[in-house]
Amino acid sequence: MSTKEQRDRIELLQGTLDLLILRTLLLGPAHGHAIAKAIEFKSDDVLQVEQGSLYPALHRLIKRGWISAEEGTSENNRRAKFYRLTPKGRRQLALETNKWDKLAGAIARILQPAEQEGES
Amino acid sequence: MRRRKRMLDDLDQDIRDHIERETQDNIDRGMPPEEARYAAVRKFGNVTRVKEETREVWSFVWFEQLMQDVRYALRTLRKNPGFAGTAILTLALGIGATTAIFSVVDSVMLKPLPFPTADRLVRIGSVFVANGHGGVASYPDFLDWRARNHVFEGMAVSRTNDFTLIGPREPLHLQGAVVSAQLFSLLGVTPALGRSFLPEEDNPAAANGTDPVILSYGLWQREFGSDASVLGRTIRIGDQPFTVIGVMPQAFQFPIQADPIELWTTIGVDAAGGANAMTAQRGAHYLDVDGLLKPGITLEQAQAEMATIALTLNKEHPENKPRTVRIVPELRGLIGALRTPLLVLLGAVGFVLLIVCLNVANLLLALATGRHKEMAVRAVLGASRRRTISQLLTESVSLGLLGGGLGLALALASLRLLVRLIPMDVPRLTAVGLDARLLTFSILLSLLAGMLFGLAPAMQASRISLTDSLKESGHGPGEGKERSRLRDALVVCEVSLAVVLLVGAGLLIQSFLHLTRVDPGFDPHHVLTFQLDSPAGLQDSRGPAFFREVVTRLRALPGVSSASAVASLPLTGDNIASSIEIEGEPTPMGSRPTADFNAVEPNYFRALGTALLAGRDFTERDDSKSTPVVIVNRTLARRFFPNQNPLGKHVRTGIGNGYGPGESPMREIVGVINDVKQSGLGADAAPEVYAPLAQSPFGTMLIVVRTANDPRSIVDAARLQVASLDKNTPIYHVETLDQYFAQSVSEPRFITLLLSGFAGLALLLASLGIYGVISYIVVQRTREIGIRMALGAEAGEVVLSVLRRGLLLAAIGATIGLAGAFGLVHLLPGLLYGVRATDPMTLAAAPLVLLMVAAIASYIPARRAARVDPMIALRYE
Repeated sequence: MSTKEQRDRIELLQGTLDLLILRTLLLGPAHGHAIAKAIEFKSDDVLQVEQGSLYPALHRLIKRGWISAEEGTSENNRRAKFYRLTPKGRRQLALETNKWDKLAGAIARILQPAEQEGES
Repeated sequence: MRRRKRMLDDLDQDIRDHIERETQDNIDRGMPPEEARYAAVRKFGNVTRVKEETREVWSFVWFEQLMQDVRYALRTLRKNPGFAGTAILTLALGIGATTAIFSVVDSVMLKPLPFPTADRLVRIGSVFVANGHGGVASYPDFLDWRARNHVFEGMAVSRTNDFTLIGPREPLHLQGAVVSAQLFSLLGVTPALGRSFLPEEDNPAAANGTDPVILSYGLWQREFGSDASVLGRTIRIGDQPFTVIGVMPQAFQFPIQADPIELWTTIGVDAAGGANAMTAQRGAHYLDVDGLLKPGITLEQAQAEMATIALTLNKEHPENKPRTVRIVPELRGLIGALRTPLLVLLGAVGFVLLIVCLNVANLLLALATGRHKEMAVRAVLGASRRRTISQLLTESVSLGLLGGGLGLALALASLRLLVRLIPMDVPRLTAVGLDARLLTFSILLSLLAGMLFGLAPAMQASRISLTDSLKESGHGPGEGKERSRLRDALVVCEVSLAVVLLVGAGLLIQSFLHLTRVDPGFDPHHVLTFQLDSPAGLQDSRGPAFFREVVTRLRALPGVSSASAVASLPLTGDNIASSIEIEGEPTPMGSRPTADFNAVEPNYFRALGTALLAGRDFTERDDSKSTPVVIVNRTLARRFFPNQNPLGKHVRTGIGNGYGPGESPMREIVGVINDVKQSGLGADAAPEVYAPLAQSPFGTMLIVVRTANDPRSIVDAARLQVASLDKNTPIYHVETLDQYFAQSVSEPRFITLLLSGFAGLALLLASLGIYGVISYIVVQRTREIGIRMALGAEAGEVVLSVLRRGLLLAAIGATIGLAGAFGLVHLLPGLLYGVRATDPMTLAAAPLVLLMVAAIASYIPARRAARVDPMIALRYE
């Protein structure tokens, strides 16, 4: 059913974005724009998320206690809000990474034979 | 909450900063400033939506959505007033009826008893091992139970009694109770004024002392002007002086019954009289026993220990019929046989509510047809299925609550009428009314109903394929396939539930008709009865003379054709069971058969209108000095003297009053009368022995006066006659035999009436359901019918094809319902008389009635279909 698929897709995207934010913050606190840039840069611009969708995700992570927000000053001495990974978020990242690896591995195993068939 | 506000306040600034940084990045990469800003904004996405989504993270989204949904739901209902009106009204009927019945059930049998120790209170019954009958215990048994058990904190006896309070004004007849001194402490209740009974007050008062009495709050207010100095005062009750020692709290009642108890005295009053006292006889079973379980002791543990004690007692006293003990929770013991009818009614009204829900679900499905496009548009605009379902459920729950509110009002308005229908002897009815429990129940019920009838249509309506429904014009033939299948299923369910109720109502109506056609063995019309205590007190030899004088004077009144007196009236079940011994068949005490014992004045059978089958009536010469005589009923004659002439034979009754201690004498049978229904119209006649009052004195008698005209017209004259004999003897329980008759069928009448009402309602609702579905089918098939008619189909064929659909649904439903009824009727036998639960007539009639109604309900839309003008039908699209 179409509606069901749609819902699953949204959830997958949401979860993925959360994971990417957590991974980025593992390197140290960062402000919103820096996080977006880091994700784009690290993925060689493959992941072109709408930058705005970062904010609901950040707030969701704050609410769950996985990251915290604090006032600070950026490189050029401007006031900015910095997001920092909490210990709880660090544990969650390990968990999510593990899950993601399993999922990616499983999908890869499913897709591989199809490629071989295509070659023969 | 504060964190949420702080986070959201910063959001605007954060987003501005973000876009500014991105713009700066773009400029750094060499874009012209304007283009750089435009690219940054585009890359960020929809700012408003981002803010919205971020706010949702922090908000109680569900609550805001709910309010929005409720507003939308109410708007939708306002836009469909016909639908909303029908739905709310049927819901109000269903929820109202359920709430009303629940309030009675709750008040009578669910609400805990108003005692602090209620959860550990049990009723301890003494029953025959042989048949489980009985319930009341004898005082010696009680004393042994109390002394030997380790499971009860305490035990107390109680019995109700009629008292006559001799006050400054008219003598006052009161209902009171004779109890163990310990009773109040078992209940955890202390008097509002004065003290409770002392343990030693269970013994009779000393030679020149007085027995203690505790007054009810109401009696203290009415008769003693709430005067605290009443404590210690000596008052006269009957011919005995009593000392007032206390006043119970305002709402206190025990035993709990329909008539209020106005005073309490101790079992000491029964203990007077030494070896002849009621409390001294192990065979005199006349006391209710209540116990307070020790904390942590279960009912089963108590039951096991008490059964062992009863077994030992049986061995120690082989002269008595073996008995055992049955323990039930106090409330259960109080409600007794009322449980079944109340639960049956609650079940029946639950069925009605289910049918109502199915009906409203059907209406919702019909409504959904018209809203198909709305749903599609919602889906296109991105509403998730869950969101759509929650919107639709909000609509149905709003409907449920509106219907429930109206239903609660209906229930409260009809409650007084309902309570008046309920038999008068049902206890705890005064508390029926609106309270927190009832309010909670009706709200939960409304919510539940809303969910119940809303869920299936909501699931259905939200499951749409966009392409199909946007293509469709709204009522094409393909669209409704699944939906109409669901509607069919709902109607089938409705019909089957209605059939179950019809079967139940049919059985009860038949049973009720049987009951009212039963020959009671007497003529209840034109007979006045009232109760009277002999002024000289219990079992004094002057008692019979007093009653005889009353009867003689009444007989002389104009308009009176005969008058007499009896110890226990027909239909009341107030029988005195006695062991009997048949002449020539010596039997040890413990294994003698039992018969009902009754004492009467001469002419009783004539006054009652009961046929004397053989022998003679008692005369005024049958007194304490003449030969002991009895009259027996036909059942006794047949059972104990088969194929013999019982006249001249002798029986010995266990009740020997009038002849002092020791075994009573053999009494000669001088007459045989027709069977009289003593224990109620539905009960088979038991063997009965009637003795002359003069040979078997009773302190309280019922006077029976047969009149030529309205029996009520002689009440004042009768009162005057009694007062002229003894001004301190009030007459009470003034009623006609017709009233006793009506009362004896009041419980079956009540349940039959209600269940028939529910069945009628179910039938109406089910027919509405069928009508709705068939109408819908006709509308859907308008085009097809038009084409058929254009091709030359007869109107009759069209009608038949539509009718067939309605009857098919009804037939499927009726079959399922019949199967269900088969499974459920076994709950009824206790309520049925003269008809088997699987009565083939009823089982056949119920589905037939339903099919007939279904035929009518589908004929109306079918005829409409036949009138379709082919031209209009074809142009319809």
